[in-house]
Amino acid sequence: MITINNRDKLEWKPGMTIKDILDTMGYTYSLIMVTVDGKLVDDDEYKTFKVHDNASVRVIHIHHGG
Amino acid sequence: MSGKIDVTINNKKVSIKEDTWLLTALEAENIKIPVLCHHKDLTPDGSCRLCMVEIEERGKRKMVTSCNYPVRSEIKVFTDSDPVKKHRKQLGEFYLGRYPNVPIIKKVAGMCGVTKIERKPYLVDENSSACVLCGHCIRACREFAQEKILSFAGRGIKRHVAMPFEKVDPHCIGCTSCAYVCPTGAIQIVDDLNNPLDPQLIRDHGMKVNAEMATLDDQQCRMRKVGTANIVDVMDNYDLLPINNYQYGTHEEVWKIDSWMLQRKYFTQGLPDGCWKGCSMACAKTIDNFELKTGPYKGQKVTVDGPEYETAAGGSNMGLFDMDAIAEFNFYCDTYGIDTISAATTIAFVMEAFEAGIIDTSVTNGLEMCFGRSDSVLELLHRMSRGEGFAVDVGKGIRWLKNQWNKTLNLTDDQKAFLQDIGMEVKGLEVSEYVSKESLAQQLGYGMAVKGPQHDEAWLIFMDMVNNELPTYEDKAEALYYFPLWRTWFGLYGLCKLCWNDVTPADNKMSAEPQKIPDHVHNYFKFVEGMTGRKLDEAGMLEESARVHNFQRLMCLMLGKGRRNDDYMPFRGIGPVTVKEYESRSDRYDKQLKEIVGFDPEGKPVEEKLARLREYREEQYDKTLDVVYRRRGWDNNGVPTMERLRELEIDLPEIVAILEEYQKSG
Repeated sequence: MITINNRDKLEWKPGMTIKDILDTMGYTYSLIMVTVDGKLVDDDEYKTFKVHDNASVRVIHIHHGG
Repeated sequence: MSGKIDVTINNKKVSIKEDTWLLTALEAENIKIPVLCHHKDLTPDGSCRLCMVEIEERGKRKMVTSCNYPVRSEIKVFTDSDPVKKHRKQLGEFYLGRYPNVPIIKKVAGMCGVTKIERKPYLVDENSSACVLCGHCIRACREFAQEKILSFAGRGIKRHVAMPFEKVDPHCIGCTSCAYVCPTGAIQIVDDLNNPLDPQLIRDHGMKVNAEMATLDDQQCRMRKVGTANIVDVMDNYDLLPINNYQYGTHEEVWKIDSWMLQRKYFTQGLPDGCWKGCSMACAKTIDNFELKTGPYKGQKVTVDGPEYETAAGGSNMGLFDMDAIAEFNFYCDTYGIDTISAATTIAFVMEAFEAGIIDTSVTNGLEMCFGRSDSVLELLHRMSRGEGFAVDVGKGIRWLKNQWNKTLNLTDDQKAFLQDIGMEVKGLEVSEYVSKESLAQQLGYGMAVKGPQHDEAWLIFMDMVNNELPTYEDKAEALYYFPLWRTWFGLYGLCKLCWNDVTPADNKMSAEPQKIPDHVHNYFKFVEGMTGRKLDEAGMLEESARVHNFQRLMCLMLGKGRRNDDYMPFRGIGPVTVKEYESRSDRYDKQLKEIVGFDPEGKPVEEKLARLREYREEQYDKTLDVVYRRRGWDNNGVPTMERLRELEIDLPEIVAILEEYQKSG
């Protein structure tokens, strides 16, 4: 199980990438930063970065608009 | 999100992101390449030819300009081969021969191994700040300011940079981008409007934003293409777009009114509108040749100033998923001098009351005020402008309507309570166009805003609801301390909010507090310093703002709207009011009842679940209110304390008198 933003739970699947998580969560925002277990993941690695089971993933939407 | 490619640079293997410019990859390896026409914030041009390197691809060698060569295959790169050295030496001699005293040319020629010229060439410009025809200014004009004021004129040795017909072009917006990127000082800015103390400081920081707009906007907010309307789609995707008087946050027909529809079929103008000289964000958008279908200008083709996000979202809030109708609503609101937000939110309230059977056509003077009825909305606007009947009542806003209907219609207590719940106003002002139900911090941002529920004091939906960055009362209180003061502060200086967070520096995510966008906050401090000479930091900014914000709160109190009772949102802004609304998101609410409230929703009637959820959320609202008041130095009734006034040095007799009056009244 993966924890998103210290709150939401997502079932882990082998080979799961950051992009898979963003797609599953419906996170389509243009200004997103992602950390896995506290470490920042480069935007270019969202498709390839494999998330391990029990990872703590933060998906921070930098607010624009408003 | 492209893949990586293995590249060999001077016999060293490196992995490079596909489509990276080769020059960028070389610089990342700390390889110094001479450049002249290249600028980090401008589209690569390749015209100076100085950055040429040799590559080998599938066994064949060739010279390429590295600045505009995208890496797309496994290549070998040679930056110091004989052909490269020979090429650089020739160019170094050429440039230094023609511009012998220009510092940047001396530096570049030195990188090419040329420090002096043996034979003086025919064409020499001895000026140390000569134009070297790098073309930076021309590209900056097009890419920063989206203008074409500058271009090359003449051919061969007569080639030079000029405005059209060699005259000063009145279309120049004075953005100073050309001077900012000029590497030699050939372009100097001579007019400094408003006599700032340090115009260069202001320009340099303003240009940082312009450069970000040119290089990042297409991937970020698309402000130049669609302005603030870019967030219609975002809000819909995150269940935050108000639909039918804030009942829901998303709708299957939003594609008809979203930013892509506006970009594809409606917006015809998107140039800098000059509201801030030199800003290249170009957020203002217009629709030209729009043929009106109703009202006094029916059949005429007009220009519509907008729609911006709030107007488009006001459309969805009235159930209008028809961009023609929203554009016409936009035009007539502007023409009649009616605020689109207050109008849309009030009409949405009227529509829900109409559909709930609280009012009927005998009240609305025959208008069928159902959600989605654009004909009724537009006719209502026209009647409002003419001062006719029910439309005049609507023009007085939600608070007035609630009071009037309570007095004049034979309503039950439940109906009165329902109107109170769905009438989206606080302090008499209508709520702007965001669904705040799932963000406690945003609910208070709206509820506590001094002038009423506008989001320009605090817009914390993403930080709170999506990111879960404000899990405790104290976290929420801190955000509701900092952001309203920051947003109040730049308003005090007349500085626009958009260049704070509608474009974000590429490296913002590396900062300690990315949500504050510290680099952009710093820009604002530099604008003030450049104008006045006064240095500012975050503490100074917060103190300045708090002095005014507290003063505003006391004025609010003086006007009868500055106490705790005035800071509550109607429940529609806090949670679901109706059974249908609850059922539309029952998974979310059931989960919250079970996991957070400790109430098992299984098998319970929706009415009971609604009541428990409401009890919990209202309690949360109250608790947070207490903590925010404390953080702001206000008493439990939301009034600034005398101690706070002294601390801010605004304990002037007139202000103290307001406070004393409040204390006497209890």
